[in-house]
Amino acid sequence: MIGSGIKRGTAELAVLSVLQDAPLHGYELARRIEQQTNGALRFTLAALYPMLYRMEQQRWIRGTWETSANGRRRRCYRLTPAGKKKLSPLQREWAELFRALQRLTKVAHA
Amino acid sequence: MPDWQEFVRRRLSGLALEAGEKDEVHEELAAHLEESYEALQKEGLPEKDATHRTLAQVANWRDLQRKISIARRRGHLMQKRMHQLWIPGFLTLTLSMVFLMLLQKFGSRPRIVWSGSIPILFYVPWLLSLPFFGALGAYLSTRAGGSRGAALFSSAFPVLALTSAFLLMFPIGMIIEWVTGNRVDYVHFSFVATALLKEGIGWLVVPGAALLAGGLLVQLFFSHQSLPQNPVIG
Repeated sequence: MIGSGIKRGTAELAVLSVLQDAPLHGYELARRIEQQTNGALRFTLAALYPMLYRMEQQRWIRGTWETSANGRRRRCYRLTPAGKKKLSPLQREWAELFRALQRLTKVAHA
Repeated sequence: MPDWQEFVRRRLSGLALEAGEKDEVHEELAAHLEESYEALQKEGLPEKDATHRTLAQVANWRDLQRKISIARRRGHLMQKRMHQLWIPGFLTLTLSMVFLMLLQKFGSRPRIVWSGSIPILFYVPWLLSLPFFGALGAYLSTRAGGSRGAALFSSAFPVLALTSAFLLMFPIGMIIEWVTGNRVDYVHFSFVATALLKEGIGWLVVPGAALLAGGLLVQLFFSHQSLPQNPVIG
């Protein structure tokens, strides 16, 4: 299980990465992240929405109300051009960090 | 099934947001809880357990309310400040400075008024243009829903920026002298202060009055009319 500090740092990256594939509403977004990380990253409602609203204010994502086939109204979030721009350097930074940690742990085990 | 809408509305009744926005947050969060609850029921959990696990997603509703209010209002405030203060202010500053540079480039000479031994420079065409720039700043700010204070701040922004520069020059000069040890003993504080004050008349006081005159005229004009307010940032 990944610690809470690292989770906070990766949360924005997780949301932006998942929204890169398709627009999603909050519940579906949380479920998708949990599935794709095999449960390592889990967002409760209390953690998810303040972050989504913050990211929306930063204009990385945009929420619009949509009505599903069963008539339910859901707020769907999609990545904005600014969000796409933010995602690439974030992905690079985290990839670099993980490579560095891998190298470090290999050295530690050698 | 619990009435999630009503539940969220009660728990987050104190959200510091406008009514429409508050309703949207309530609806969105209630929909999330509803889906969580339904998914747990599909997994075979009895109603009581499903409700319990759904509610466990929020340990502290007051804390969530505070976080949502901050997250949503911060952006609004920034957007508001940007449209009502900074964009009109910087536009007024840029246009007035570009106009001054053009006047200087095309050979407009300042009118010099001697005050004792210190000359005070007045660029008359520039001073005459400032009420228009001040009016433009005030108009843009008012149009974005800015208050009277914000509009006047925008129109006077060029002199506020220049005042900051003037005020910074003196201590920075003293620090440089102190660091380099290059003290000029015959330049006394009173002499420098007098020079700054007199420069201030030509560069700050008179231009400030001209800019504010434009801003006040716009205020006067639009106080009798209602400008369309921006609903997003108003």
